Amino acid sequence: MVEKDKSPIGVAVVDDPASTVSRRQFLTGIGAVGVGAVLGGTVFAGFLLPDSVIAIPASGGYLIVDSKKCQGCNTCMMACSLTHHGVQSLSLSRIQVVQDPFAGFPADKSVAQCRQCPAPSCVEACPTKAMHVDKSTGVRMVDVAKCIGCQACVNACPFNTSRADWNSEDKHAQKCDLCLDTPFMDGDGGPGGRQACVSVCPVGAIAFAKEIPLQTDAGYDVNLRDAGWAALGYSTDDAGRLAAPVTAPAAPPAH
Amino acid sequence: MQRVLLFDSATWLVWLAPFAGMIAAGFAKRRDPVVEGDRVLRHDGAAILEHWTHGIGTAVLLGSGITLGFWFVPALVGSGGPVWTMMDVHFVAVVVFLFGTFYYGANTLLEKKRFREHLPTKDAIDYTRRHYGLLLGFKELTMPPERKYFESEKMAYILALASTAVIILTGLLKVAAHSLDVPAGVMAIATPAHDIATVAMLAFFLAHVFFAAILPMSWPVLRSMFTGYVDLDYAKHEHAGWLAELGYEEPASVHAHGADSSDDPEGTN
Repeated sequence: MVEKDKSPIGVAVVDDPASTVSRRQFLTGIGAVGVGAVLGGTVFAGFLLPDSVIAIPASGGYLIVDSKKCQGCNTCMMACSLTHHGVQSLSLSRIQVVQDPFAGFPADKSVAQCRQCPAPSCVEACPTKAMHVDKSTGVRMVDVAKCIGCQACVNACPFNTSRADWNSEDKHAQKCDLCLDTPFMDGDGGPGGRQACVSVCPVGAIAFAKEIPLQTDAGYDVNLRDAGWAALGYSTDDAGRLAAPVTAPAAPPAH
Repeated sequence: MQRVLLFDSATWLVWLAPFAGMIAAGFAKRRDPVVEGDRVLRHDGAAILEHWTHGIGTAVLLGSGITLGFWFVPALVGSGGPVWTMMDVHFVAVVVFLFGTFYYGANTLLEKKRFREHLPTKDAIDYTRRHYGLLLGFKELTMPPERKYFESEKMAYILALASTAVIILTGLLKVAAHSLDVPAGVMAIATPAHDIATVAMLAFFLAHVFFAAILPMSWPVLRSMFTGYVDLDYAKHEHAGWLAELGYEEPASVHAHGADSSDDPEGTN
């Protein structure tokens, strides 16, 4: 047997005298095959394979809001962070109520909720499939373990405010999952369950819909003002008209 | 226009780098240490290349990784462009690091003595106690006949080896996630393991830089990482055991006048 360490470079480095391939030749060969496989695979995948077409299922539900009904109490934001993270934090909420005190009604408030887009830019932008479509519910959501923190989804969201948020405490992307993954909420969430923001909104300015709204801002910002709203003396149409005055129940006749 | 991360647009370079390192090792012409007049060849060109590619790669990886933030370390970059830039810097360092590490690994497989010379021996505790005790001013201690690498360095090498292995394994998984649908459960283990190994590597790196670059006594070996050589007198004092392994013997005239006690290759004085 030839002692490798004492042999000249590249000569007679075999452990087995019957072998004609030296250890150096073997390692170099593996390197060459590897380089060839990587380059060949790159060319094949980049130029020869057709572009893949991925069908993305529709979400099993959508949040719709009435920004003209919203009072800006931020209860939905607190409930969102509480059910998802166990703390009440406006910055950890996946639904954002944006308020401009210098703008007059109705531009003073807007509710930025994820629209569960049919062609989600955030999912497409994610390099590691952390932002994905849940197979069973169709909800667009983040797998935190796979998020690398590049924030491509945050930037890819076409809306301002971005509906894909950056969790600056745990350093990963997050977004509304219709309460599908809410470890701090009793009961089931998601399209088949309930949503924290819908449940807690004191004026009913957020609702859950199974049908996809029109793909316009108006499609997601709907009129949720009902008879109860009118009973409070508020307008129930976008023109600001008051509903017919609600009369108080007649007093019982005096005897 | 949406910017594309190098980890996505040039992923193939990450997979290419290890194999390129192996090929480079296959064609490397190595030279063993040898006494040449009043100097000693300590590192040949291949050793210098593998050290600096691995070392610079590690430094940039640590810097960019920490800047991006992990665990309890706050991210030093905010969002958008700076994050992507730092990720691209991390990518370049990954390629350099993988090339250097696999170049070293393949060289080691070709000549196992280059691996053995890094492993601590049974003298590790005793030599380290004597060596650093002497540095700290305990005059009754004598300089041990350290071999090519100090025993303390060789103990730290184990930490560097383990953390490098974990960083590469988990790092390649993280890169694979850019092309494959790696299960979230795997990533939930790989990412914290990558971070833990990074902390271990950071500890090794800081100690290595201090003892091998900042401490004045180490400057001759730092210089040798560029020139390949150390002075014979330096080697006699700091690496007597190594010189003995190289078969160096003091000229008769020196013996006649008595050598310094630290030159005792057996460390018996």
